[in-house]
Amino acid sequence: MMPFDRIWLRLRAALRRRAADRELDEEIRFHLEREQEKNVTAGMTDADAWRRAYVSFGGVQQVREAHREVRGVPWMADAGGDARVAVRALARRPALAGAAVITLALGIGANTAIFSAVDAALLRPLPFPAPDRLVMLGENNPEMNWHMESVAGANYLDWKEQVGAFQDIAAYTSGTGHATLTGAGDPQLLTLEAVTGNFFAVLGGHAELGRGFVDDETWDTTRATIVLSDRAWRTHFGADPGVIGRTIRIDGRATQVIGVMPAGFTFPSSTVDAWYTQGWDRASRTKVWFRRAHWLRAIARLRPGVRVEEANAQFQVVVRRLQQQYPVTNRVMGAGMVPLHTYLVGDTRTALLVLLAASGLLLLIACANVGNLMLVHANGRAPEVALRLALGAGPWRLTRQMLTESLVLSSLGGAAGFALAWFGTRGITVLAPERTLPDSGIHIDWSVLAYTLAITTACGVLFGIAPALWSARRAPGDALKEGGRGPHEGRRVRRWGEALAVAEIALALTLSSGAALLVRSLWRLAHVPPGFDPHGVLAVGLELPQARYDTTPKVNAFDDALIARVRALRGVTDAAIISHLPLTGTEWTSSFSIAGRRPGEYGSEVAHREVGADYFRMMREPLLAGRAFNRTDREGSPRVVLINDVLARRFFPGQNPIGQRLTFDKIPDSSSMWRTVVGVVGSEHQISLDAEPRIEIFTPQEQDPSGDIFLMVRAMGAPTSLLPQVRSVVHDLDPELAIVEVHSLDDVVATSMARARFLTTLLLVFAAVGLALAVVGVYGVIAQLAQRRTREMGIRLALGAPARAVRWLIVRHALGMVLPGLVIGTAAALLATRALRSVLYHVAPSDPLTFVAVPLALAVSALVASWMPAAQVSRADPAQALHVE
Amino acid sequence: MPPASPSADVLRGTLDLLILKTLALEPMHGWGISQRIQQVSKGVLDVNQGSLYPALQRLEQRGWIGSDWRTTANNRRAKYYRLTATGRRALGEETASWRRYVSTVELILGTP
Repeated sequence: MMPFDRIWLRLRAALRRRAADRELDEEIRFHLEREQEKNVTAGMTDADAWRRAYVSFGGVQQVREAHREVRGVPWMADAGGDARVAVRALARRPALAGAAVITLALGIGANTAIFSAVDAALLRPLPFPAPDRLVMLGENNPEMNWHMESVAGANYLDWKEQVGAFQDIAAYTSGTGHATLTGAGDPQLLTLEAVTGNFFAVLGGHAELGRGFVDDETWDTTRATIVLSDRAWRTHFGADPGVIGRTIRIDGRATQVIGVMPAGFTFPSSTVDAWYTQGWDRASRTKVWFRRAHWLRAIARLRPGVRVEEANAQFQVVVRRLQQQYPVTNRVMGAGMVPLHTYLVGDTRTALLVLLAASGLLLLIACANVGNLMLVHANGRAPEVALRLALGAGPWRLTRQMLTESLVLSSLGGAAGFALAWFGTRGITVLAPERTLPDSGIHIDWSVLAYTLAITTACGVLFGIAPALWSARRAPGDALKEGGRGPHEGRRVRRWGEALAVAEIALALTLSSGAALLVRSLWRLAHVPPGFDPHGVLAVGLELPQARYDTTPKVNAFDDALIARVRALRGVTDAAIISHLPLTGTEWTSSFSIAGRRPGEYGSEVAHREVGADYFRMMREPLLAGRAFNRTDREGSPRVVLINDVLARRFFPGQNPIGQRLTFDKIPDSSSMWRTVVGVVGSEHQISLDAEPRIEIFTPQEQDPSGDIFLMVRAMGAPTSLLPQVRSVVHDLDPELAIVEVHSLDDVVATSMARARFLTTLLLVFAAVGLALAVVGVYGVIAQLAQRRTREMGIRLALGAPARAVRWLIVRHALGMVLPGLVIGTAAALLATRALRSVLYHVAPSDPLTFVAVPLALAVSALVASWMPAAQVSRADPAQALHVE
Repeated sequence: MPPASPSADVLRGTLDLLILKTLALEPMHGWGISQRIQQVSKGVLDVNQGSLYPALQRLEQRGWIGSDWRTTANNRRAKYYRLTATGRRALGEETASWRRYVSTVELILGTP
């Protein structure tokens, strides 16, 4: 017979097992009947004949088993049998099984939850065709410390035309625009993005209805067309297919809807409502400001087959050419290229990887715990196993069975963990600060399921293999003696149990150290004074449309009326206006020069905001010198500025800055506008709590008003309670004005710590669970130890040893485990916490306070855990203890 | 695992040979084979008649014998085994090697 036929027979026999069993039974019955007949013919009675036939046959069951073993594929049938035996064995020890399943569920659940977050945020590809061909371009300026900053329009155009490796480059304005949609009920606020005509083509999005833009429309200065997002189409236009071609009013201007994008296309943010064109004037191309102002984000699609390095090389050639061609603006302007995916997720990578590592440590602790449980379990079953070995069971069969038990256990733990992870991801999605996770959220999909299966199986093998291998290797004789407590085997199990406990302590120490460092960092962060008093302050963002507020008096009139009316509201302590909120990193920056300094000396990256007269008083910021803005600083009066403390100290050390003049030009010339410094104010944190305050110059809102303002209102009670009244004031003053955004400053401060808080909270949870598991593990090992040495302790007590001494013996043994664990753990933690450097604020990764307190805390917990069994042993009745077998 | 006694191994090999030899004459069911072997071997296979069946299965899987269900003269269903061409060839080879083995053992035992 060909080998295939043989395998086929076996396979068929395995699958038709029951049929084959029945056939054999029929054969056996036939045989016995014939034998019986023969015996009857030879003269026996019926009963005797049957009995003799049976005896001659031999053991029917053995024959059945031998037959089964010869045919079929034994392991497949046996696997099912093994699993059933395993389940029954576990059911007999519900406490052990329950503890193991819960422990595993915690470890696997944490891991799966974090992995699904990592999968969503870091691993999932972007929803564009050929997303690996997309790169984000940014300009670098070493003098101003710019890295991957926004791009200037003229540079963008030159790159587009001159870099062959780019199939095309699209651009959009960085920062989000808003506009009011009117004419369809209440004014609706829309989030708009200004894009170049080839935006949709480069990203690869096709309009669902109508069409997207074409490249030429970049130059359409009328900007009279708009493409809607699916979200806006459903929310504001009721998903009406007839919207194409309709004219709507955006900021009062007639605009025609030419297309609707499909639901999946929401670049650059999930809340985008519509895209309109940049609408550049061709004449602007040669103007200096077009190359100097940086307001675009550029995305390039590489030609197929071109590697990123090649494209970058070509890109750099063009960049250098531009540096030489346009020295005024581009002399030090470099540029860089980053894959789009990396650019979008970069921020969150470290945090998520730290969490993944932490959950991995937690899983290892859980496995160590369960491994210990399995060792004890296996040890307890040693007599049974030995008996089976002696009766002829194959050692491989036994190993396989114990491994099956471990796998069954880990599967149960994995299933429970998977369910736990589902809840975990809900929690993570809620807790996660904005932009940490992609807008589509975390989904438990096939890759997550595969990951869970993989780690579940790995765990099962990990903690099951050792006990399984050892059980089968013992000489049966040893194990059958002394009820299974032969000294040789017990010692090995004990040593491994202790080694596992040491490992658990080391792992728990690493986790806890990381968590403690983050907690310290968060505490430090929370105590950074933001530079202003945020309590009870409401910030209302308004955008005065250019069309109706085109002169300074018009803006000032609105601002004055607004402030007056809001101050008159009940519950309002004070109100003021500012162009940008602190702690959001959203202000203008530019260079500036000080009169009387040498031409080469200038400052750069100075933050720059417009403020209303009473802002600093309202925000309770100190006036350190000179005066604040007042009524005299209006349009037409001499131009004045306030500088912040940081600027004063850096550029006027030991001097009086009042009366000094400065201008917002790097190299002042005859056209520069000089402004006089009239006061110095305290510094706000403009970007975030953990970034130092920047140098800042404030100009009066009255002299150079900004159309985009924030009305800051200090309330006596809860700030949001004032919102309806503020809304009606705004509506009274200008019914067509929509409120762009609303924040409570307390929330703004809280949000700036959101990321740190997120990371710290999760890590703290993992560390707490890990610590609990480790302590339980130590308790388990010490409890076993105490139980094993009960007889010895009983003898000591009987011989007159004080209870204290007996306790100390046990506790000393515990110390012998805990101390090495602490040492190894500290070394591991010192290595591991280095990875946290980028997320810690003013706390060193090897912070001595942490590395003394945490091991101490762990040592105390472990000793407390070992106290109970020690105390129990010392209290035991010596007579009873001596009887323990 | 308890070490297999040498006689069991030899017995297994002998059994296979005996089965093949029996079936070389005519197709037969399991009981018939056991009776024939008993007669021919003068009672070697008195006990453990059941061990025939795993042996039959093994030979069938090796392809030396084939099987099918038939009705006996007494109108009962029984599984009949027959020798295949491969089996016939194997029988010849096994017989030859058995004879060689026996003569070797005789030779060893014969020398003082």
